[in-house]
Amino acid sequence: MAKQILRIDMAKLTATYENVPERWSQWAGRGLTSAITCDEVDPLCHPLGPSNKLIIAPGWVTGSPAAPSSGRTSFGGKSPLTGGIKESNAGGLSGQMIAKLGLAAIIIEGTPAKGNWYTLVVSKDGVKFENAADLVGKGMYEVDELLWKKYPKTAVIGIGQAGEMKLSNAGISVNDPENKPGRYAGRGGLGAVMGARAVKAMVILDAGGPGVEIKNMDLFKEGRKKLTESIMEHGLTKKGGGLNSFGTAVLVNILNEAGGLPTRNFSAGQFEGATKISGEAMAEVCEKRGGEGTMGHGCHPGCIIKCSNIYPNESGEAIVSCIEYETTWAMGANCGIDNLDFIAQMTRECNDIGLDTIEAGNTVAIAMEGGLFPFGDEVSALQSFDEIRKGTPLGRILGQGVEATAKAFGVSRVPTCKGQSMPAYEPRAVKGIGVTYATTPMGADHTAGYTIAPEIAGVSGKLDPLSDEGKAELSLTFQAATAFIDSSGYCLFIAFPILDIAKGWAGMAESVAGVTGQAITGADVIPLGKQILKMERLFNERAGFTAEDDRPPEFMRNESLPPHNVKWTITNEQLDSVYAWVHEGEPA
Amino acid sequence: MKRLCFEIDHHRLLTTILLLREKLNNRMINVNVSLYGSLARFGGGRHVAQVDVELESNSGKADLLTHLDIPENERGYLFINAVLCEVPGISTGANELLNDGDHIGIFSVDRLYPYQYRDGLPMSDGLRKTLHEHGAVHHSYR
Repeated sequence: MAKQILRIDMAKLTATYENVPERWSQWAGRGLTSAITCDEVDPLCHPLGPSNKLIIAPGWVTGSPAAPSSGRTSFGGKSPLTGGIKESNAGGLSGQMIAKLGLAAIIIEGTPAKGNWYTLVVSKDGVKFENAADLVGKGMYEVDELLWKKYPKTAVIGIGQAGEMKLSNAGISVNDPENKPGRYAGRGGLGAVMGARAVKAMVILDAGGPGVEIKNMDLFKEGRKKLTESIMEHGLTKKGGGLNSFGTAVLVNILNEAGGLPTRNFSAGQFEGATKISGEAMAEVCEKRGGEGTMGHGCHPGCIIKCSNIYPNESGEAIVSCIEYETTWAMGANCGIDNLDFIAQMTRECNDIGLDTIEAGNTVAIAMEGGLFPFGDEVSALQSFDEIRKGTPLGRILGQGVEATAKAFGVSRVPTCKGQSMPAYEPRAVKGIGVTYATTPMGADHTAGYTIAPEIAGVSGKLDPLSDEGKAELSLTFQAATAFIDSSGYCLFIAFPILDIAKGWAGMAESVAGVTGQAITGADVIPLGKQILKMERLFNERAGFTAEDDRPPEFMRNESLPPHNVKWTITNEQLDSVYAWVHEGEPA
Repeated sequence: MKRLCFEIDHHRLLTTILLLREKLNNRMINVNVSLYGSLARFGGGRHVAQVDVELESNSGKADLLTHLDIPENERGYLFINAVLCEVPGISTGANELLNDGDHIGIFSVDRLYPYQYRDGLPMSDGLRKTLHEHGAVHHSYR
């Protein structure tokens, strides 16, 4: 059975099923959310207005039998935070269930009568529009619990109070296998876009769905086998490997040792308390406190990497799942806080209120620099989330993210690109990632340019890691590869094994080809990724973005970052060369 | 029998002791070492350990590693004062001297450290030269 598009009109409260048009038929995941956004969303529209749409799409292989670590769901639309195109993806239960219902994408458009909120119940029988008055004003922990009482073992997508208030830092929650709201399409404020459609929550029931059609089962199995073996062989992704043992926060100590861990609002590259907030420290806490605390937790069925964690309190009861690298950095080093228990509680606040932890932590750091409370004041930092939950004037400023908060508090060290704050890698110390921060259509985003070995991806020459030369080409290659993986439904962490183990790269492409029937090989990964990037880039251009938006923040060119005392040195011409190819061949 | 008799000059003795201690101190250096992952056991920790190590003043990286008794095949990334000096499978600059007060961070081989987060990072001249000669950039060189 061919996949369909489910279009939900919130103005008319109708749901219609459409065949996937030819122009979208090759895409899934990020490629599809971006294609639909480009075709159906006016780039000049207000992100919270009636012309914007929320698009939800599982990846190519999501929902297919035992494709390893492939449960991602892409969410797309025009971003309230950046004003440009946005794709943000999450793990959790939703992707596989949407895919098993035979849906390529769900498009949510229109605005209902003012004051009404809805829960959309999506099943094989269609869409029910349930009044969500009983859920409005509630955080996501309670929303997930209430909806599972009525619809057990379903996928729940939802927004907390931040999304209801249409704050620019509102994310979209997806429940995990324990029905906790720890999986977020956090970046870019898409929770506010969902709130603007007056959708508080969605319930996905996959029972009786047609499942995912596999066009070439032999090829799919061959690709799946290669990829699975690669993941299980690689030191980082295998059982007991770095990710499985210490989570993504295994990066804290290494970035700190390298002098690239942004500290106290990007004023230094090393944090004296780094070891206390690291993945190693989390593992020690889990072992000591026991109970529900664990490393090696999977965020969705079928994940074989299991890099998530459940962080416990002193009694062994779960505080939150999970504390990611970017989260422990944003709430920790960047705020001068070295107390994991407070970081866990702040993370829980984000998951409940519905906030992106990267933007939220950066915002607290900006408020600290602006004098609201001092760096390291963990008690005040935690209390500040109450302001957002209650929607106080201060909370509404903090909930708008870094740039709005910096204006409110007169702060000029503002670590953003295209309105979105930077993740946990200092671009003055780690120059390669800085090019990606500056030029990706998504705004400063580490996941926009993920690991693909240059030689595998076809970047030629002997790259000097210390030279600025070649960074543009490298960044583009990374961005293209990431756009492909984001479309596949695979977790980005498969990038490590496919980097080092050649059969893994081929296996990823073959499994996608097996499911879709498209003639995709490893050689097609970068060209297909570039097609997606071009769509996104052109949307942003029509939204008014220029080359001046592909720049790092001013302070990074002027302020030296200790301990290496380095400034941003990559020229604007180099940055402009990253996307120069988009208009090649066009008349002058 | 003639009795040996001499007077102890306390002030002179104290000065001599202080000079000797200063000389000895000058021959020793103290470095701070962080050990991550399974290497923490070499510093008495579970997953992360920090130890201060006293070495002869002309000691190099190799002397430190010998002192810590860490097997080469367990070693991954190694930093000295925030400068990357080793990656899995490539060890350079074994005889470069360490200085009093240096910080060394050593990771077990299973560390996550993707390429793009290394790209542009300060690294030792020896490692830079070796990587440049190698051509391709890998996560691991084992």
